[in-house]
Amino acid sequence: MKKAPATGINSVAKRLVGRRDSVLERKNIRDSLVSVAGSIGRPVSDLEGRNIGKLVDVVVRHGEATYPPVSGIIVKVGQRKSFIDAKTISRFSHDEIRLSSTKINLQEYERREGESLLDADVLDHQIVDVNGLRVVRSSDLYLAPLDREIRVVGVDISFRSFIRRIFPGAVSRRPTPEHVIDWASVASLADGSGVVRSTESRAALSQLRPADIADLIEDLSGREQGALIELLDPELAADALEEMEDDDLLGLLRGLPSDRAAQLIARMEPDESAEILRDLDDDHRESILNEMDLPIANQLRKLVSFDETLAGGIMTTHLLITRENDTVASALKLLVENRERDVSDGVVVVDAKGRLLDHIQIVELVSAKSSAELSTLIGPPYPTAISENTRLKEVIEEFTNNRGSSVIVVDEKNKPVGRILADDLVDALAPANENSSFAQGGGAF
Amino acid sequence: MADTKTPNKKAPISPKKIRIAALLAVMGPGLIAGLSDDDPAGITTYSVLGAKYGYQMLWVLVASTIALIVFQDLGARIGVVTRQGMIGLVRQKYGARSGTLSASALIVANIGTMTAEFAGIAAAGQLFGFSKYVTVPVAAVLVSFLVLRGSFSRVEKVFFLVSGVFFTYVIAGFLAHPDWGKAFHGVVTPTMPFTHDAIYIATATLGTTLAPWGLAFIQSYAVDKRLSRDDLKLLRVDVWTGSLLTGVIGFFVIVTCAATLNKQGITIDDASKAAQALKPLAGNLAKDLFAVGLIGAALLAASILPLSTAYSVSDLTGRPAALDDSPREAPLFYATFGSITLLSAILILIPGAPLITILVVSQILNAVLLLPLLIYMYGISKDKRLMGEFVASKMMRAIYAIIIGVVAIAIGCMLWFTIFK
Repeated sequence: MKKAPATGINSVAKRLVGRRDSVLERKNIRDSLVSVAGSIGRPVSDLEGRNIGKLVDVVVRHGEATYPPVSGIIVKVGQRKSFIDAKTISRFSHDEIRLSSTKINLQEYERREGESLLDADVLDHQIVDVNGLRVVRSSDLYLAPLDREIRVVGVDISFRSFIRRIFPGAVSRRPTPEHVIDWASVASLADGSGVVRSTESRAALSQLRPADIADLIEDLSGREQGALIELLDPELAADALEEMEDDDLLGLLRGLPSDRAAQLIARMEPDESAEILRDLDDDHRESILNEMDLPIANQLRKLVSFDETLAGGIMTTHLLITRENDTVASALKLLVENRERDVSDGVVVVDAKGRLLDHIQIVELVSAKSSAELSTLIGPPYPTAISENTRLKEVIEEFTNNRGSSVIVVDEKNKPVGRILADDLVDALAPANENSSFAQGGGAF
Repeated sequence: MADTKTPNKKAPISPKKIRIAALLAVMGPGLIAGLSDDDPAGITTYSVLGAKYGYQMLWVLVASTIALIVFQDLGARIGVVTRQGMIGLVRQKYGARSGTLSASALIVANIGTMTAEFAGIAAAGQLFGFSKYVTVPVAAVLVSFLVLRGSFSRVEKVFFLVSGVFFTYVIAGFLAHPDWGKAFHGVVTPTMPFTHDAIYIATATLGTTLAPWGLAFIQSYAVDKRLSRDDLKLLRVDVWTGSLLTGVIGFFVIVTCAATLNKQGITIDDASKAAQALKPLAGNLAKDLFAVGLIGAALLAASILPLSTAYSVSDLTGRPAALDDSPREAPLFYATFGSITLLSAILILIPGAPLITILVVSQILNAVLLLPLLIYMYGISKDKRLMGEFVASKMMRAIYAIIIGVVAIAIGCMLWFTIFK
């Protein structure tokens, strides 16, 4: 496949969409585009040209194909809505839809797994414009023959095409290809159970920043939210969830099945997970926790039970714990394995009984001999350790006193159970300002 | 918040307090959408009803309030469950033409109604000696400034504050010393003279209480407030409270006029004249309260109308629509809001503008639009794919159908009388 010359916005779009050239740039495809919105309600005729009914909807099969193939059409024959297989369609243009047979199966159409109806599920519904990073409504969809099948190749999100459709007669059917964008650059969220998904749009989504995805999720309606989450890689989805506003996140979690919610929450930072779980009602929280692996669930249960105004309630329990006789090399390896986590700025060293000895910064590890034992690095400055029941106010005092970026939380036996990082403090303090004009300034001003 | 006295236990908050706090957080859509239906046009209709027919037709208000409760409740639920505004859903479910037609009718009707709100402000302002060339621009600027500069929760707080003004009608009602026995009788016994005027005013009462823009508003507003399914129970409390208050205020307006104007045989054709006529009958205070209530009502509705229009237009085109968005993020939303406000303010200020025609046409348009909107809502309520577990039960569907039937007959009568009278 040859690479298109990259210029301006187009090049960004190309990069997001993938390595493929848009099929819309092929002349034969551009010339044979058929507007779905314009086709609905058009007469369908059989082999001998007899009118058998009107087109009700177009059924597509979705899977991993970038351009979903049409599996058939629904035609209103008398009072029935019959399904006609795509194989018997001999011509599908904006002038006529003709079948290659005279025999029609008059069975009423029933929805099947893995299929979507273009008019009922996709047209005028919300879709994600991956390039424009926004949620839009589709104004029209375009079909074209590609790889020996009729496929959805393009989508039109322009307002002008939407307005065109309200005019009567032929005007409403005329394709306006100048507004068509490649199907591969949108993520349609047709149905919770059967999302029209393509590897291309998935790949494009996976390159977005979690904060952008969070914005997209917040802009979508209920059912579509779940569908977008389904499209995402769980790790990325969890990152995006962490970026969402609490209220939106709660709403989203309520709409997701428990097992999916559990999968996502387990991948979020434990303190963030605990915070959101705390806001759910008891039954819902338990049904989610029951779907998780026991150790994670237990850890979260414990975190949830802590008061949010105490150290235990705001700390993150993700700790990189090492023994005093471990080597520098193994500590570094541990850090590399956990590089995604926000606690990976150093390791906590404990003695044989698990009691806190020191927190060793990554800089110290890097500059030490890799075969050295960690015990040789223990020494001042020692980390500040506080108990789980320390009040938020005192935690802040500890931070101001020692000017460090974190404190370590220990239990009554001096075993480390968590850490409070500066950003945990910010999170803990932020809700207090929720109702003041200060906190709201960002939105509308 | 860090100042907890019992550090080892959770702060002792009673479950009752938590419930009230949760309710207050959900409160808004029902209360605001309901009360904004008591706009100057509504107050005028209620005043005429009371002045002309006394206590006899209070039951019409009761019936309208029931219809309001049922459909505001449905609208709020649709908004929360689908997280989409009404016009967007109509486009999605009924196609581009239905969506665009509804939105266009809504825009035109809303401009007309907005003009009526400004007319109310102008008339009430004149009672206190202010020229309309002062009061209308001030009101337009106030409303635009509020929505442009405020975040969602701040705008909502102002709405709540303005809603408080409606209690002036309750006080005015008591000052008029109505005959409570007769009022009760009028509430529970549905009788009316079968004359053109009586049927017309009954329909107008229904139409002004259950307004298309109110229905579109409550749904979009519930979406913008980002309420979730767990809030539905509390939201129901909000909707019932809001709709009942709407009815209660209408009740007090009617009994005030019944106890004074009707008793003296004075007929009026507008709410500000009602306020004026109250002065010799119930005292200066009653007149002032009535007029202040009118201004508050107009201001609230004048904020809701362009907002409702802006939500609907953004919804139709699938563009962002949220009070928390900045004008840069949601240009269409704010442009619609601004144009509706500006256009209506200009219409009311042009000397010799055909005001009566504008008001009548927008009233007819509202009536004509109400029916398809109710039918669309009915269709959405029974759509399993959209509503999921919240799909309407058979019983609720029957109730919706009965109300739609009554509304259809009433609107038919009203159109008949308006066009062929």
